[in-house]
Amino acid sequence: MIELIPLFMFAAVFAALLLGYPAAATLAGVALAFALAGSVFGLFDLSDLGFLSGRLFGIATNQTLLAVPLFVFMGVMLEKTRIAERLLDCLTGLMSGARGGLACAVILVGMLMSASTGIVGATVVTLGLIALPTMLNAGYDSRTATGTIAATGTLGQIIPPSIVLVLLGDVLSNAYQQAQLQQGIFAPNTVSVGDLFAGALIPGLLLVALYLGLIFLTAWIKPDRLEKTTERTGKRPSAKELALGLAPPLTLIVAVLGAILGGYSTPTEAAGVGAFGAVLLALAYGRLNRSTLRETSRETLKTTAMVFFILIGASIFSLVFRAYGGDELVRSVFENMPGGEIGALIIVMLVLFLLGFILDFIEITFVVVPIVGPVLLAMGFDPVWLGIMIAINLQTSFLTPPFGFSLFYLRGVTPKSVDTRDIYKGALPFIALQLLMLVLLAVFPNLATGLPYALRG
Amino acid sequence: MKRLAHAIDRFQDYLGQGLSWLTAAMVAATVAIVLLRYGFGIGAIALQESVIYMNSLVFLAGAAWTFKENRHVRVDILYSKLTRRSQIKIDLVGHLCLLLPMCIVVFVSSFDWVLASWRIREGSPEVGGIPAVFLLKTVILLMPSLLALQIISECIKLLRALASEDRQA
Repeated sequence: MIELIPLFMFAAVFAALLLGYPAAATLAGVALAFALAGSVFGLFDLSDLGFLSGRLFGIATNQTLLAVPLFVFMGVMLEKTRIAERLLDCLTGLMSGARGGLACAVILVGMLMSASTGIVGATVVTLGLIALPTMLNAGYDSRTATGTIAATGTLGQIIPPSIVLVLLGDVLSNAYQQAQLQQGIFAPNTVSVGDLFAGALIPGLLLVALYLGLIFLTAWIKPDRLEKTTERTGKRPSAKELALGLAPPLTLIVAVLGAILGGYSTPTEAAGVGAFGAVLLALAYGRLNRSTLRETSRETLKTTAMVFFILIGASIFSLVFRAYGGDELVRSVFENMPGGEIGALIIVMLVLFLLGFILDFIEITFVVVPIVGPVLLAMGFDPVWLGIMIAINLQTSFLTPPFGFSLFYLRGVTPKSVDTRDIYKGALPFIALQLLMLVLLAVFPNLATGLPYALRG
Repeated sequence: MKRLAHAIDRFQDYLGQGLSWLTAAMVAATVAIVLLRYGFGIGAIALQESVIYMNSLVFLAGAAWTFKENRHVRVDILYSKLTRRSQIKIDLVGHLCLLLPMCIVVFVSSFDWVLASWRIREGSPEVGGIPAVFLLKTVILLMPSLLALQIISECIKLLRALASEDRQA
């Protein structure tokens, strides 16, 4: 019975989370209740909680996580400069005239935008507000239009530089070290945020290509679902307008990524320079003033505090979870899993997929990955590959009806005339593409691991 | 009571809004670090550490204001469908049974540790670093203190909201 306490803890925290009180405090509060109850029955030593100060200090002085506020600052600043709207105008001008052109423009803008923000809600809401009306007016059926936007909005998690990959990179690098130490390797290999960025690049771009391919296929088989007319709407942008709209954000993203992947700077440094670049861009577009800067700073503080507070709550949870032997429980469950390593992996992926309906990326990364990560990594799975699989898996989860986050956000900004069922059905072909991507990654792990290991030399 | 809640909120507003400028300062400091390192080959340890200090202030001291602004993530699948009354009750219970114990434990478990750091005026482990690690550690005590203060304000506001719901019913 006592060995099963971690399991009860997990169930209790899960039930409590569903009540809707802020997740970070729920994680911590439930864990502390278990600690207190345990100490009454002599099952838990309250002095174990003394490790907490060290953990908090570790979070406060973590160099990798410093990239979080800086990337958030960059994303919010870019949002305030209305770069997405500008880009969309530019690309639709260029691509209208071809069937499916509008959808392709949305996908490409989503890709560029998400690369800079990396927060699901922001991209889906922005695209839903600015692109959906245009698509519907042009004659898109609501399924194709909403599906494209919901799917595009989730790209932000996988396309670097994304905050999600920063968090995942930090957690996986700890898990990887732990896994190796347990195997008696005392000079462990490392995995960094940069590795994860490099690993995510090719799968991310492949996903974009698959999305675009789906639109081409639709244009060929079911053209009536796309633009009614192939006549040009709006004027074609001149080369100068195009360069002015496209070049600055593109340069920023390529420079930030290039600096990290080329090994010239740490993600934290690149994020800081990227944030500064976003400020310069706002200046160039004439949108930099005291109030933009003030709003950006406040937004950044709130988002940063939110992310770190979950991390604090999750680390209190995992401290108590470990003290009750949760790690050993998870390991023994996995070791007795039918189907060996592959069976364990499939179960973890399935559980993460289901958890993705309820919890968001940050919570899953901080609570679940530290528990299952070391076990899977000790079984010999590659950390970069595992990270990318987790990222794409969760991305799929956020797109899956009826609970997918992306669909929720989109429903929030979609006119009532669009049926919720159409939003759900519109997502289905994109979910199929996501699953295809997962299968491709499973069969050809090199898609994820090739680039980072080649860059390391 | 209403005035107490109002005063606390105002205080957290000033603090949170003031602290938020540190995020812009972090960007500036990081750019300066990069320029010094790649432009002049200078490793500015103190400047690097200052970013850590600023970030700690941002997320530890900013957590309470983020609570006031209701920006901490909730799992709202069910919550958003509940009546306002039920939401208020959940928040009240949550503040007192989940958040408050968290604050107490963080404060109590870190207190001696921070005190020990003060006693030796603990400095940076790096040569040329900021000699004020004891202050950085103190910020860890600031987080639960500010949160506890905000709990008082939130509970007052929630109780008043509950009372007004009752009057309407």
